[in-house]
Amino acid sequence: MTSIRVDTLEPLPGREEPPRRHVPPGRWLRENLFSTWYNSVLTVLFAALLGLLLYRVGRFVFVDGRWEIIERNLRLLLVFRFPDDALWRLWTAMYVLAGTFGLAAGAAATVRRAEVAAGRARPIGGRFLPLRRVAPVVVLAAVLLWLAGSVGATLLVAGAAAVAVLGRLAGTLLPRRYAKWTAVLALVGLAAAFGIVIGLGGVSPRTWGGLLLTIYLAIGGIAISFPLGVLLALGRRSSLPAVRVVCVTYIEIIRGVPLITVLFVGYLIIGFTLPPGTPTPSVVTRAMIGIILFTAAYVAEIVRGGLQSVPRGQYEAAQALGLSPVKTTWLIVLPQALRAVIPAMVGQFISLFKDTSLVFIIGLTELLGVADLITKQREFTAQGLIFETLLFVSLLYWVGSYSMSRESQRLERRLGVGER
Amino acid sequence: MTQTTPASKAMQPGGTGEQMILLEGVQKWFDDFQALRGIDLAVGRREVVVVLGPSGSGKSTLIRCINRLEKHDGGRIVVDGIELSDDLRNISEIRRELGMVFQQFNLFPHRTVLDNVTLAPRQVRRRPRAEARKAAMEMLERVRIPEQAHKYPGQLSGGQQQRAAIARALAMEPKIMLFDEPTSALDPEMIKEVLETMEELAESGMTMIVVSHEMGFARAVADRMVFMADGEIVEVGTPDHFFENPQEERTKQFLSQIL
Ligand SMILES: Nc1ncnc2c1ncn2[C@@H]1O[C@H](COP(=O)(O)OP(=O)(O)OP(=O)(O)O)[C@@H](O)[C@H]1O
Ligand SMILES: [Mg+2]
Repeated sequence: MTSIRVDTLEPLPGREEPPRRHVPPGRWLRENLFSTWYNSVLTVLFAALLGLLLYRVGRFVFVDGRWEIIERNLRLLLVFRFPDDALWRLWTAMYVLAGTFGLAAGAAATVRRAEVAAGRARPIGGRFLPLRRVAPVVVLAAVLLWLAGSVGATLLVAGAAAVAVLGRLAGTLLPRRYAKWTAVLALVGLAAAFGIVIGLGGVSPRTWGGLLLTIYLAIGGIAISFPLGVLLALGRRSSLPAVRVVCVTYIEIIRGVPLITVLFVGYLIIGFTLPPGTPTPSVVTRAMIGIILFTAAYVAEIVRGGLQSVPRGQYEAAQALGLSPVKTTWLIVLPQALRAVIPAMVGQFISLFKDTSLVFIIGLTELLGVADLITKQREFTAQGLIFETLLFVSLLYWVGSYSMSRESQRLERRLGVGER
Repeated sequence: MTQTTPASKAMQPGGTGEQMILLEGVQKWFDDFQALRGIDLAVGRREVVVVLGPSGSGKSTLIRCINRLEKHDGGRIVVDGIELSDDLRNISEIRRELGMVFQQFNLFPHRTVLDNVTLAPRQVRRRPRAEARKAAMEMLERVRIPEQAHKYPGQLSGGQQQRAAIARALAMEPKIMLFDEPTSALDPEMIKEVLETMEELAESGMTMIVVSHEMGFARAVADRMVFMADGEIVEVGTPDHFFENPQEERTKQFLSQIL
């Protein structure tokens, strides 16, 4: 790759690789771990502790752990009491998601390559990036399939993976013109998947539980609390005092109470606040509303921080060009503000994901609820299997949170391109 | 010209003599601090007025009042026959006439240079995409950075960024350009390229008000120079008048510091 000097347009002399020092392992050890006597003591101590920990966990996972509680209840943990004859809907939804997300990823990769080729973006990542991205999910799928021990499920998952890979390949072949619609495509895929599960005699979310409910609450919560929070943040800076007061009051009240309270209050009063005659929303919907109302207040404060980070000069330049206030906000300020707060925002969404476990307070059985339930089953009570269950549930939460965190870092680096 | 008071010279529009901007007794307060104390100035079509003066004298405030980035508290501002009032339609009409270039460039960092230039024509003037792009490329050629069109502002040198900002303002086809210290955030070697662009613009007949302490530029292109201090216009005259024979004590003192 040759670089161009931006001011004179002359090619730079080929950039040299940063000098790489080759340190023999023995010396590296001596320099880093055993440089002084107390360093040596610490090294030995921590190595011992780490070894012990690894040994214990490894032994538990592979030898002592009695995973039959998970094996026997895998279905409950994942989809709870989802009816047998509707399971095909979940599988179909999975294929739709695999296809659309694969396409979107492929198209995004092409756009990205073009940007890099045009010198507008620096390549990021490194070798095997796509592989590293999906690694946690692949590991999770492997664990699940191993626990399930079902040939049919394995084949179905392998098929979905193949669809995703094919989708990605197809995405790279898509003309660049359509590439910007791929974000929309992913959203459409999500909506379609949802439609397939609930539509036309499907299974209403009010009966959902387990991981399925957790994911539903998390995705729904994120998708709605995000725009709502942005609106609240903008409202807080509105020139209309009434709008401002309403937004500030809302934000400050919600931020002053724990989520569990919001959920509970929502559970109790949402029925009353609706006009008479409307059917009371299901408990799941009420939980979703509680989560959305709660998260929106935090999103609003995060976005407000972002709005404040956009320099005055940006508003003034837009104004001087004759852009209306709405267009200034939409085209100039918000894109910059949101980009600046990606890490905080994703942090908030990761919290939301894990906080969905609090819906047990209003009688729902999401992932953690199922975990609690199965340790109380007759065949497993009082056998101390809580640790197996929690470890398994933690793995699910971890894969979700870690993936979000990784994708956010990617997004941040990608959008950060060309910044001052 | 028989009278020599600054006020009368300030009110004689130069250029073609046809009046493009008229300021009459313009006042601006920031809380209880008066930043502009009754400014009178008329600028003619095709005229280039260079404004100079010590820091805090109100130069930025003056040109920011003209396009309503600041609201003036007294007096009249008339741009190409439209009086600036609280009427929002008036304000946007006047902003169409005026292009502004800032000291800090204020390019939109999340958009490519080309997008920066096409944004306002497309969003405000509703130009079709292809037409806006074509016009934008012409503007970028005019400021001599067509090859930077697809980069982001952060990937350009300061001088290139400022020229992109000039192209962005020109793309709205303004009748008047306002410059607020366009070169004072630049390294010396980049100042030249921006000044050259501005000189070409002046030669093409653009009406310009330029806040600048670049005396070479002023001498080359200014029709009139305006010296401000403490929110007032102290002295007005041709560059020759300023460099050969300034009248006011404060002007002499200031010029001796910067020359
Ligand atoms: N938004 C504001 N609020 C309060 N005071 C202000 C504001 N903007 C400017 N001022 C004051 O008004 C006076 C004139 O400011 P202005 O920016 O117009 O000066 P200037 O001549 O452009 O100076 P410089 O050469 O440093 O740019 C200064 O004393 C400044 O402190
Ligand atoms: Mg200034």
